[in-house]
Amino acid sequence: MNTLVPTPVSGSDASGLMMNRREALKRAALLLGAALTPSLIEGVLRAQPTVGGKTVFLTAEQFATTSAVVERIFPKTDTPGALDVGVPAFIDLMAGGYMSAEDQRTLTAGLADVEARSAAAHKKAFGQLSAEQQDALLKTLASEPKGRSLSFFRQIRELTIVGYFTSETVGKTVLHYDPVPGRFDACVPIAEVGRVNWTK
Amino acid sequence: MANIQGAGTKQNTYDAIVIGSGISGGWAAKELTEKGLKTLVLERGRDVKHGEYPTAMMESWQFEGRNKLSNVDAAKQLKQARTGYTTHPASAHWFVNDLENPYSEQQRFDWMRGYHVGGRSLLWGRQSYRLSDLDFEANAKEGVAVDWPIRYADISPWYDYAERYAGISGNRDGLPQLPDGQYLPPMEMNCLEIDVKRRIADSFGGRAMIIGRAANLTVPHNGRGNCQSRNRCIRGCPYGGYFSSNVSTLPAAYATGNLTLRPFSIVNQILFDKDKGRATGVRVIDAQTNEVVEFHAKIIFSCASAVASTFILMNSTSERFPNGLGNDSGELGHNLMDHHFKVGAAGISDKFDDKFYKGNRPNGIYIPRFRNLNKETKQKDYLRGFGYQGSASRTDWARGIKELNMFGAGLKADLIAPGPWRFGIGSWGECLPYHENKITLNKDLRDKWGQPTVTFDCGWKANEYAMRKDMKQSAIEMLEAAGLKEVAGFDDVVNSAPGNCIHEMGTARMGRDPKTSVLNQWNQVHTVPNVYVTDGACMTSAACVNPSLTYMALTARACDHAVSELKKQNI
Repeated sequence: MNTLVPTPVSGSDASGLMMNRREALKRAALLLGAALTPSLIEGVLRAQPTVGGKTVFLTAEQFATTSAVVERIFPKTDTPGALDVGVPAFIDLMAGGYMSAEDQRTLTAGLADVEARSAAAHKKAFGQLSAEQQDALLKTLASEPKGRSLSFFRQIRELTIVGYFTSETVGKTVLHYDPVPGRFDACVPIAEVGRVNWTK
Repeated sequence: MANIQGAGTKQNTYDAIVIGSGISGGWAAKELTEKGLKTLVLERGRDVKHGEYPTAMMESWQFEGRNKLSNVDAAKQLKQARTGYTTHPASAHWFVNDLENPYSEQQRFDWMRGYHVGGRSLLWGRQSYRLSDLDFEANAKEGVAVDWPIRYADISPWYDYAERYAGISGNRDGLPQLPDGQYLPPMEMNCLEIDVKRRIADSFGGRAMIIGRAANLTVPHNGRGNCQSRNRCIRGCPYGGYFSSNVSTLPAAYATGNLTLRPFSIVNQILFDKDKGRATGVRVIDAQTNEVVEFHAKIIFSCASAVASTFILMNSTSERFPNGLGNDSGELGHNLMDHHFKVGAAGISDKFDDKFYKGNRPNGIYIPRFRNLNKETKQKDYLRGFGYQGSASRTDWARGIKELNMFGAGLKADLIAPGPWRFGIGSWGECLPYHENKITLNKDLRDKWGQPTVTFDCGWKANEYAMRKDMKQSAIEMLEAAGLKEVAGFDDVVNSAPGNCIHEMGTARMGRDPKTSVLNQWNQVHTVPNVYVTDGACMTSAACVNPSLTYMALTARACDHAVSELKKQNI
């Protein structure tokens, strides 16, 4: 299943790791009959893979599709996007050892479905579409009647929300991070806590 | 049994043996050692010293699976996971491995266990309420089960004593059905809670909504630091901000020089001397070495938790007690209770959008029982009553999961900001003691030490189901009257299976008559007076309030009695 995943890199040679991933992405793209744009490669590389630079469950193609989807669910704005905080690696980790076999199937079938729809409508990989085209495709999934496409959309959406808000970057720099408040003030003007929720 | 270590030896002899180190065992250890008794506390699990709380300071991103256990780990705790919150990576290590600690269910029973020093005192919800005579008199007045052998006046000074030591924050609210105690300053209600409290009182003839009475310190107390408003209590509190055996009673017992605590010590049975008519000690299986050791003492306190204490009594058979120690009545194992819950209502508020709170309060509001208090509040279709626990808070990012189809930059920005205020209440209802709700010993299924295991056969009945309808309907009524929007009731009766509330009570009830009860008014086994059972097993009825404070008070009271009886040479 993981034939396209880069081989593990010995030691801590970061550049070797990056090259391997870059190569793998290119190979994945070739298999899809398309070339990855440099910006997409950079985008995917922003999403740090799991320990050792190797995915635990997703193939490189699936990882690329996941990366493109989650960045549309939570795009980078004045706050970090899903790729900035490693959501694809989180989803890979969840798929590898934290979800049921049925949820794994929902995820992999859903990712394949996204690519199939993208190829059918645009003859391109999902990652190559414009943001508008990507959003339109995701909206179609979201508006499907109850079924596998909708289940996949809700699944990856939930994984993105959880992976994003439980990440260190968001917990420490976006939300209100104060693990030892020391006291409880029951009712204060919202500006005193920066108009953001508490890190939990 | 051959090669039993320590049988009758001096070094294995103490003045008192306490089985278990949770809320009740910790109190027994403190009281007995402070009264000068050389006391051995036997805990079946590992030692945990105050401060040894590995996840206490961890953030979500420091757990490998964030908020989730891996499939491999989750498979070890399928029953412990039934609460929906216990097997979070921050707390799963405090709950047992179900594969190594099996039990059987004639009907679903969710048995949540913490096998380590401190037991579930590390994990409890900390809500601390007194029973009242409404509770102590109910069985007798209604002809249900048997009468409690005590009344509020018997336990009231011991509630005072327990509260003063443990440190309970709360308000003196002057409600007869929920007697006031000895409190540290109360926690504050937030702005929406204050608003809802006023509206409920206005709409329902002064019905009370109070701040929860919690074993969290609002000020430093007895050498412990005050609560830091982290609301991560279940992980263990390095600040000692809430009451547990580990931070309070066990250190006090150690300080006397009279405590010996032996972890990994599974009490297999209490030993009985037919000629003396007394227990002489306990037989222990070392959980690590499987070695069998005997310890001896003049008095034995069983504080192992309701089900575990009764298991030990049932497993302590002899010529005199073929059906379990002290079980002349046949009631041992019967009258198992828990609170039924996971029913209530929630709504959102369009007010106070410019307000928030600082800190995470580990406590909520409480709406004390208002049914069947008197003629005016008498219900036609059920006995007893229920209270509500709840709180108002601003919704966090998790609300986004339910907004099923939205995505994009707008959603992200929205979920970073505090959401609307939400107010929710859930009800805790009294369950009647039914003889047929019971545990039995299963000799066909053995644990890894060769001991029999427990089989549960316990279910809710008509009284609880009728009460649940009111628990839901009254919640909806109050929240609507309080001006909340999108009020929706809930009743997750499936996941409110007995045990799920982790308030197991009964199975060795107190009573006046040895023919119909196991324990007397001092928590002594009627027919074996040097054995006391002071955990949840002793409860004659369940009341609707959280029970731990009552175990503290009953344990302290029983210790006082035991030492006084020892001095009189009555035991």
